[in-house]
Amino acid sequence: MHTRSAILLAVALSLPGSEGVAQMSRAALVKQSDIIFIGTVTQIGAVAVPELPASARTVVVRVDQVLEKPAAVALTTGDSVTVETVRAGSLKPGIQATFYTTGWIFGRGVAVREVGHEPGQSPVVAEAQQQAVSRARFAVNDAALRAHIQSAAMVVAGRVDQVRPAELAAAPPRPKRITEHDPNWQEAIIQVQEGLKGAQAGQRVVVRFPASLDVAWVGAPKFAAGEEGTFLLHKDSTTGSPLAMLAGQSVPAYTALHKLDVLPRQDAPRIRSMITKP
Amino acid sequence: MRAGVIAVALFAACEQPVVKQPPAKLTGIRVVDLIPASLSGESWQDAEPFLALYASNPKLMAASAFTPNPGGSTSATAPIFVSDDGGDSWTLRNTLPSQGMTADITHAVGGNPPVLYAGIMKVPDFPLNELKANDFFSPATMTLQASRADIDQPFVRTTGVGNADRVYVGLNDFDAPDGRTATVDVSLNGGTSYTSHRLETRNTLGQNGPSIRPAVAQDHTVYVAYFGWRSNAGSDVTSDVVVVRDDSGAIGATPFRDLVDPSDHLPGRLVATHVTIPWSNAPTLGQERIGSTLAIAVDALHSDNVYLAWADRVGTGDIYTVHVRRSTDRGATWSGDLRTLTNATDPSLAVSTNGTVGLLYQQVTGSASTSRWVTRLEQSRDGFATHQDVVLATVPATTPTFQFLPYIGDYNGLLTRGNQFLGIFSANNTPDSANFPQGVVYQRRVDFPTHRLLDGSGAPVAVSIDPFFFSVPVLP
Repeated sequence: MHTRSAILLAVALSLPGSEGVAQMSRAALVKQSDIIFIGTVTQIGAVAVPELPASARTVVVRVDQVLEKPAAVALTTGDSVTVETVRAGSLKPGIQATFYTTGWIFGRGVAVREVGHEPGQSPVVAEAQQQAVSRARFAVNDAALRAHIQSAAMVVAGRVDQVRPAELAAAPPRPKRITEHDPNWQEAIIQVQEGLKGAQAGQRVVVRFPASLDVAWVGAPKFAAGEEGTFLLHKDSTTGSPLAMLAGQSVPAYTALHKLDVLPRQDAPRIRSMITKP
Repeated sequence: MRAGVIAVALFAACEQPVVKQPPAKLTGIRVVDLIPASLSGESWQDAEPFLALYASNPKLMAASAFTPNPGGSTSATAPIFVSDDGGDSWTLRNTLPSQGMTADITHAVGGNPPVLYAGIMKVPDFPLNELKANDFFSPATMTLQASRADIDQPFVRTTGVGNADRVYVGLNDFDAPDGRTATVDVSLNGGTSYTSHRLETRNTLGQNGPSIRPAVAQDHTVYVAYFGWRSNAGSDVTSDVVVVRDDSGAIGATPFRDLVDPSDHLPGRLVATHVTIPWSNAPTLGQERIGSTLAIAVDALHSDNVYLAWADRVGTGDIYTVHVRRSTDRGATWSGDLRTLTNATDPSLAVSTNGTVGLLYQQVTGSASTSRWVTRLEQSRDGFATHQDVVLATVPATTPTFQFLPYIGDYNGLLTRGNQFLGIFSANNTPDSANFPQGVVYQRRVDFPTHRLLDGSGAPVAVSIDPFFFSVPVLP
């Protein structure tokens, strides 16, 4: 029952008006949501925040338990949340459900947009639902990682031997631009200790990364000499210069621009398992 | 003409500005932290704030900063702040079509209904998006009007003519020919279409500086300031500070040619020449980067009067120095420095309806671990021969440690409406009354006695950079 396949089974939704999400799995709901809570509908066609006009699609829900939320969001049991439902008339006062939502308006209170809701036997067993959502989130994260592995040209466990400025020899023939958003491309030379996909131990690989401190590159992983990790490497299609020089040879250059592309060294066995058992 | 310039410069140099010392707390001043109560756990670096006001309804305002969608970096939208009570309270709404956050954003308002125009660098890939919301209070995602790649720092100003809004977006367009990248995108039809106009008429080192700043008067005079980057030695750029003008709203085929320099008879008055701009895209001044700091404001009712501020390195041991100058003859001649502010940045200017000029800036004082970012609003009615000085915030410059750059912003915002200067700046958000001499109001949960930020459950939250709205009465 707690296997991934069970999690990915479509959640049967029984309420009238919920047909639009009836075919969505719990994992699909979780994937699209950043605020998930168990709540009880207290008002329909109403709002709990003054910043938003009431409409046929807005309902007020009392939070019974928060299952997931961003750390920045202040949302606790007993709060009233305004929910813009997928479809007017899909909820009635007194119904308790698990709400899968995205944050919409943040003021004195919170307004969210419904991705879907999952009615349960009232009262919803919070602990069971928390576990179910956690498992679904794990499955979503797992699927995202698998997709990254799938799209990677090379997956290695290794150590950064050296960091040097990138020489973008094949860049378009245009002057270098001075801008605060300049990525300041650098090259990390990674000594492969374990080749997990498309590489062999002992190989050296050139990985380009933006060393810029600019806000535009705040989410991109940075590399430092001596750093060890498990790296999901993608052929460089970003800098406009797909090749790099290594020991006098022209070699493919790679990038690792997503946070999932740089993982702890100890994740290598798990990644290997995911590659061998897709 | 030359004699006039020299005379003004000497006058300014010889006059010792008389600074009225501010009382501990002036009446009528508001400082409000924009982070709403429902985001009390927020600890992001909400730098580079900007503000838009509605002339038709003083209660309505829009604001922005590098504030992310609370849902995370994979969210399809980024937020703006809005207020419908004159800035006393703010809400965050995810209405910008950019993944989680923008890489640059400015905005300005149109007519009724409350239209909002925004220029953003969209995440990912950072193309320019020129956006419009027919009602900025609508929860709908803003509509894309125009887009293209290879630009920097869109800076939006607007004015209304009849039923049509005119939109002016200053930007650095790297696809402009001959390295003359200073550009203004002009829309004469409420953003339906834009035409790009190049400003630079002289040779550059290959591009202009990032800051291209328009200002519009009620008689449709449009000024634009930009940096004419001429050469560089390492990271030091030698630049001219240039102002162009168009007397009819830039509706002609070759706009921004109404102000020529007497030295070469080319469009674009050279207000300062051969200044040294230190380009440092690293923490340099109180953890902030430096390299392109420029502001311009016109007296909306008397377009002859225009103020200009920029920052460079004077070379007297300064890191970065802000200069403020004025023209009273439509940019033909300029004063010398009315204000010279050492180790300052982010000047913003506005001219109120009674002619009073407001100057917002942020300055590092002290050194090392005792250094502070001091945010000030100065007002003057006499070209800064005298001025009123209001300290809005004085906060540690060494904490919090930067998460990215800009630390507090490559710019902030100052506007005026009626008898108020209204503006926005970013600063350390420690809830300590000593840091905000004019008082401060937090929407987010704080505990002033312990100087702590609290999340929704009452747990401590790390100090970070927040945007602060303020209003200050205009000198009568």
